[in-house]
Amino acid sequence: MEHLLEFARGPLFRLSFALMVLGLLRILALDLFELYRAYRQAGDKTVPWGKTTLKALEWLVPIRKVFVNRPVYSVFSILFHIGLLLVPIFLYAHVKLWQDDLGLPWLTLSYKWAYGLTLLTIITGLALIVGRIANRTSSFLSRKQDYLWPIALLIPFVTGFICAHLGVGPKAYQALMLIHILAGELIFVLMPFTKIAHCVLMPLSQYVAAVAWKFPPDTDDKVCTTLNKKGEPV
Amino acid sequence: MNRVQITKTILWIIVGLASAVGITRFLFGLGAATNLTDATPWGLWIGFDVMSGVALAAGGFVITALFYIMRREEFHNFVKPAVLTAFLGYIAVVVGLLFDLGLPWNIWHMIIFWNPHSPLFEVGWCVMMYTTVLLLEFSPVPLEEQSRYAKIRSFLMKLRFPLVMLGIMLSTLHQSSLGSLFLIMPYKLYPLWYTNILPILFFISAVALGFMMIIFESLTTHWVYRKDSDTARTAKLGGIAVWVLGIYLVVRMIDIIANGKFGLIFTSSRESVLFLAEILISTIIPMVIFSVRRLQYNRNWQWIGATMVVFGMIFNRINIGGLTMIRATGDTYFPSWMEFAISFGVVSAAALAFMFAIEKFHVWEKKPKDPRTDPFALPTFDRASGVWLGSPSIAARTRYSLAFIFSFAIGFAMIPDNKIHSEGMDEVPVTSARGGDTLYIDGNLNNYGVSFDHTRHAEEARSGRGCVTCHHMNIPFDKNSGCWKCHKEMFTRADIFDHTWHSSPSGANIACDKCHPAGQLRTTATVKQCADCHKDLVAPNSTITFDNYLAVSYVDAMHDLCIPCHQQAAAAHPEKPMLAQCGGCHGQVPPENRIELLRNEAVKPGINPVVLPQMKVQ
Repeated sequence: MEHLLEFARGPLFRLSFALMVLGLLRILALDLFELYRAYRQAGDKTVPWGKTTLKALEWLVPIRKVFVNRPVYSVFSILFHIGLLLVPIFLYAHVKLWQDDLGLPWLTLSYKWAYGLTLLTIITGLALIVGRIANRTSSFLSRKQDYLWPIALLIPFVTGFICAHLGVGPKAYQALMLIHILAGELIFVLMPFTKIAHCVLMPLSQYVAAVAWKFPPDTDDKVCTTLNKKGEPV
Repeated sequence: MNRVQITKTILWIIVGLASAVGITRFLFGLGAATNLTDATPWGLWIGFDVMSGVALAAGGFVITALFYIMRREEFHNFVKPAVLTAFLGYIAVVVGLLFDLGLPWNIWHMIIFWNPHSPLFEVGWCVMMYTTVLLLEFSPVPLEEQSRYAKIRSFLMKLRFPLVMLGIMLSTLHQSSLGSLFLIMPYKLYPLWYTNILPILFFISAVALGFMMIIFESLTTHWVYRKDSDTARTAKLGGIAVWVLGIYLVVRMIDIIANGKFGLIFTSSRESVLFLAEILISTIIPMVIFSVRRLQYNRNWQWIGATMVVFGMIFNRINIGGLTMIRATGDTYFPSWMEFAISFGVVSAAALAFMFAIEKFHVWEKKPKDPRTDPFALPTFDRASGVWLGSPSIAARTRYSLAFIFSFAIGFAMIPDNKIHSEGMDEVPVTSARGGDTLYIDGNLNNYGVSFDHTRHAEEARSGRGCVTCHHMNIPFDKNSGCWKCHKEMFTRADIFDHTWHSSPSGANIACDKCHPAGQLRTTATVKQCADCHKDLVAPNSTITFDNYLAVSYVDAMHDLCIPCHQQAAAAHPEKPMLAQCGGCHGQVPPENRIELLRNEAVKPGINPVVLPQMKVQ
């Protein structure tokens, strides 16, 4: 067990971490290429950059969109994302792992906050899965992996929570810790290759859409003319 | 995937691996990435990247000499690819050198701080200038793509002839100077390779290799792009190369015979086998291939012959660069996988740049087209996901970047942890001091220890604080723990608290909350101290304090313990100056009855053991 843990913490961690960082950078770069190509090929090169940027930021912090559609689901989703981002990055036990080597200053969550946020993430995560199943439209749109990835995301939170709080014996601790690390690494690897990639693509998709899917001002009239429906409402 | 795609994917994979290693080398230094030692400071990177790299790039000056000076117009098609190969080859040499230099950011020093006595000074200047010349020679090719550079291009075209002359001159200088480097080591280099005419041999072999490299490069790239290569002309080049190889062989053999070293070839030692293999691969077999008419005009045999010369001459440079020095140094060096990764990575990057150049510019008569770009070709689908990856250029980006990041991640994972964290120090485990009343303290068993009169020191301690003067800690369930049990490493600090062992089911099997209080951050500040459970850990009234249970190195522990007392004693007894001198304790012969025993146990001293001078006792 110790050897497995050692392996998961050493080479396997480096493998998955490098894949995550480079994979995310890769899709970012590929998307920027596409953005540039879309811009070059666009007939109308007037892109409202300021407006698009504001819109992208608005989507990054979707406070104003919460009550538009399925408000409860949206609130749960935002809370879920807060815990999902804050706990792994600012948990003291995680920071300690690499701070000893690098010595950079880094904020850490207090024990109580980490405790609360973890519980919040687990509960909201489960609620989101239930919401996905219960809502007919979203369950119709969901594929298998849309249930699988949220569950995979929750595994490290559950195992980490147990390891951190209950007086588990070393045997259970090591088994849970192994699952914790492996699940975390699985998420690292999945990140660039699944829809979890929205963590970096999110603002960019706004720009690509704004540049590539922009219609010239009188497009609707032209479409109607082509379809022999001139004068009718679009 | 077609041939071009497979080749590029493989090259990107190697480049990815090399990039991960390259980061390690620049962050953690040569010690973390290579197996080089003080006795073998030049390894694969010098033997392959620099010495072979310069020779492999000789095609540039050889073909320009043939075409521009000797007016052999029929070789026109080889000129541009050969100059491009040479240019990329020299860039690869410079990059490879940057990896090998201990302080790569000082590479510009030779421009300002001149040392005209050094062959490396000449090599450095020549390589620098010749790379510039090659850039100027090649730049008309990319410049012709855009009409706005026409003036620059025509200016460079006018300069072509002087540039070619300069290129040949510089190549002659530094190709031979690389050989001059080794004139300094007649006792290190094996006699079959060491000779006064090493510079001449280096130059002749570089010319022969230049021809063969043109053939090799031409046949290989035409094969990759599925084009018919000009076999008749490559055969002609091979025919010229046979003469050069012949001259090389004759000069080398005459030198060996004249210096009376002929017998060494047949001693069946390792070096004689290396020599015979090298001569056969690099010279004799290729000469046969390019002399027999049937083989000479056969494309496959041409490729085999050229490849043999290429590998044979690399082998020759590696032999001279270090392989045949092993007998003299006794240091068994074998390159680490990371050294191979960098060497192949640099070559792969150059190959990718070459493929890019021939696809984008008119290096060949007709730009080779990737079969994918045919507008009537059926779309191909990705094997893994079954989706269309987009137009060829997009699909290429997708595929090659994926190959790159995967191999980078694998390379990053394979980097050995201990090498990175060792801070350049090899871990040397320590053993206990041996003996009875008189102890011989020699932790790393290299026979350069200290005879320590334990009985006498114990008696003296008894009048003061007692045994706790020195013995400050016992490991659990042990009394009189030896120094070596905690100070486990000769030169580095050792963590004597094994967290993994304490928390593992096969170890102490202790749950976290036994030491870490619930509801608090698990830091060293909040955790239970060792002595809370292990009651007899610290000796009462001990003089030595410690924090965090991080034991200092064995050497530091011994010195910190002995030296202060000895200095005090020396001050109190001016008639005994030896008390505070290193030689007073070190270098003493251990008690007679234990010498043999020690000799059997002793590990052989390394290549440069620290030998303290014998002091005369006054």
